[in-house]
Amino acid sequence: MDRDARRILYVQTTGTESPERSATVFFLAASAAALDIEVGIYFTQFGPTLLQRGVPEALQAKRGGATLGHFMDQARDLGVRFYVCQPSLDLNNLKMGDLIEGVEMIGGAAFNNLALEADRVICF
Amino acid sequence: MTKAEIASTLDCRGLLCPIPIIKLSKAVKGVEVGAVIEMLATDPGSVPDMEAFEKQTGHRVLDRTEANGVFRFLVQRAK
Repeated sequence: MDRDARRILYVQTTGTESPERSATVFFLAASAAALDIEVGIYFTQFGPTLLQRGVPEALQAKRGGATLGHFMDQARDLGVRFYVCQPSLDLNNLKMGDLIEGVEMIGGAAFNNLALEADRVICF
Repeated sequence: MTKAEIASTLDCRGLLCPIPIIKLSKAVKGVEVGAVIEMLATDPGSVPDMEAFEKQTGHRVLDRTEANGVFRFLVQRAK
C-alpha cells in the first residue's frame, strides 16, 4: 500500500431492497479512484445483498437504466476494493460462495483500522 | 498552444459524470510525462471535476475554454 496515497473508505448499508440507493457508492468510488485515491467499499447491514451472484446483472438503480454491474465493473476496473464481514453476511443469510468474485472478507477490527487509516469515511 | 503539441484528443461530448473523469484518468496514464491531452466535454460538472482532478492528481490543466456548450481542456501529465 502506498503510504503517500490519499484514501477514502465508503460504507454501503442498503442493498437490493432499495435499488435506487445502490449505484451512487460505485459512481463516487470510481470518481475517487480516477483521482488516484485509494478506495474501498465496506458492505454491511443490507449492503452485502448487492454482491450476490446474479444481482449486479439484474439490478437497475433507475428503471430502464444501466445495470448495477456496469457501475460495479467501472469501479473495480479502477482498483476499488470490496469488503464484507461475516456477521453482515449472516444477517442476509449469505456465504462467501454466494458472492461475486473478488470480495474480501474482513472483521470488525480490520474495518475500524481501515476507517482510522483513511482520510475520509463516507456512509450510505 | 498549437495542435502539434497535443498528444491525443479525448472526446467526452455527451458523456455524463463520472465517465469523463474516468476516461481522462486512463488516458493520462497512457501518455508520456509532459504530454498534453485535449479533452472535450459537454457536462457542466466537468468544470469543477477538472479542478478536482488537477488538485488531487497533480496533473495540470493548462487551458480551459468553452464554445457553444462544449468545454475544451488541455491536460498535461505531470508525473
